[in-house]
Amino acid sequence: MANFNLRKAEPKDVPDILRLIKELAKYEEMEDQVILTEKDLLEDGFGDHPFYHCVVADVLAEHQKVEGYSVIGFAMYYFTYDPWIGKLLYLEDFYVMKEYRGFGIGSEILKTLSDTAVTNRCSSMHFIVAESNKASIDFYKRRGASDLSLQEGWRLFRIDKENLLKMSAEE
Amino acid sequence: MDFTIRAATLEDCKDISRMILELAEHEKVSDQVKITQRDLEQDGFSKNPFFHGIIAEVPEHHKSREGHTKVGYSLYFYTYSSWKGRAVYMEDLYVMPEFRGKGIGKALMSKVSQLGLAAGCTQLNFTVLDWNKSSLDFYLKQGCWDVTSDLGYHCMRCEGDALEHLAQGDL
Repeated sequence: MANFNLRKAEPKDVPDILRLIKELAKYEEMEDQVILTEKDLLEDGFGDHPFYHCVVADVLAEHQKVEGYSVIGFAMYYFTYDPWIGKLLYLEDFYVMKEYRGFGIGSEILKTLSDTAVTNRCSSMHFIVAESNKASIDFYKRRGASDLSLQEGWRLFRIDKENLLKMSAEE
Repeated sequence: MDFTIRAATLEDCKDISRMILELAEHEKVSDQVKITQRDLEQDGFSKNPFFHGIIAEVPEHHKSREGHTKVGYSLYFYTYSSWKGRAVYMEDLYVMPEFRGKGIGKALMSKVSQLGLAAGCTQLNFTVLDWNKSSLDFYLKQGCWDVTSDLGYHCMRCEGDALEHLAQGDL
């Protein structure tokens, strides 16, 4: 197979991006956590100050394995900042549909992202992986990624909206 | 003690740079800080900033032993959750040791929460080192939860040679 095309996402890709986000969440057994809508994705990704960027992989009609879908993989990323070393690229989501794995599409997406990172003078690409996702951890470690949680003891913390509201109201 | 919390300006970069180094020196890794005051000015105060800053300032009569009135800061930027949408990431939170225990850290974090909520964010994320017991306790008391512990998410990094090789498509 392997006739696929990687390109910057356009507004018309939003329904496919949401579909793939939900497929990835399902793979992580977190499908019910996705509350993002197409409207959010459109507003947040294609306005004057986008919160995220996306690349999508699409295949030609004659290579479609799954009825009706030409967009079969994507990666969502944005730029972050480390006050010690400067700009970084953060990989939020990265997914290729099951039927299209093993053709180098994932590797090609990662190559494009790394290229984007280097071109934008980012010193590093960061992302999180669930420790139970052995396949992904191996995939990334094979490409030279290090596990900061294990090596340096970093723990990701979060405050959700309810507590954010409480905190913001404190004087 | 009287203090004010306000948005950082270009003129604050000198003090932000000083405090970044103080924090790094405290962790005995100040040689890892590559970002200069000039970098901060360019990266945080141009048309498309990569981060935003908040400063905690005390009146002249409360200045530090070395004569500083800018005694704490927070650096944050906007990120995106493919499940929940807009989020805010608090990259740094620091209060000079002689000004701790007066609610300045909490006030800085409260400001970040307010700004995040105003921008439509539903989450505040940040990382903490697992040995930093006092910080871990502080954050847990604010209603944060440990995503690394609870969901098993590990922070991963791909940098330097590994990033370059990935960009070139080497495996």
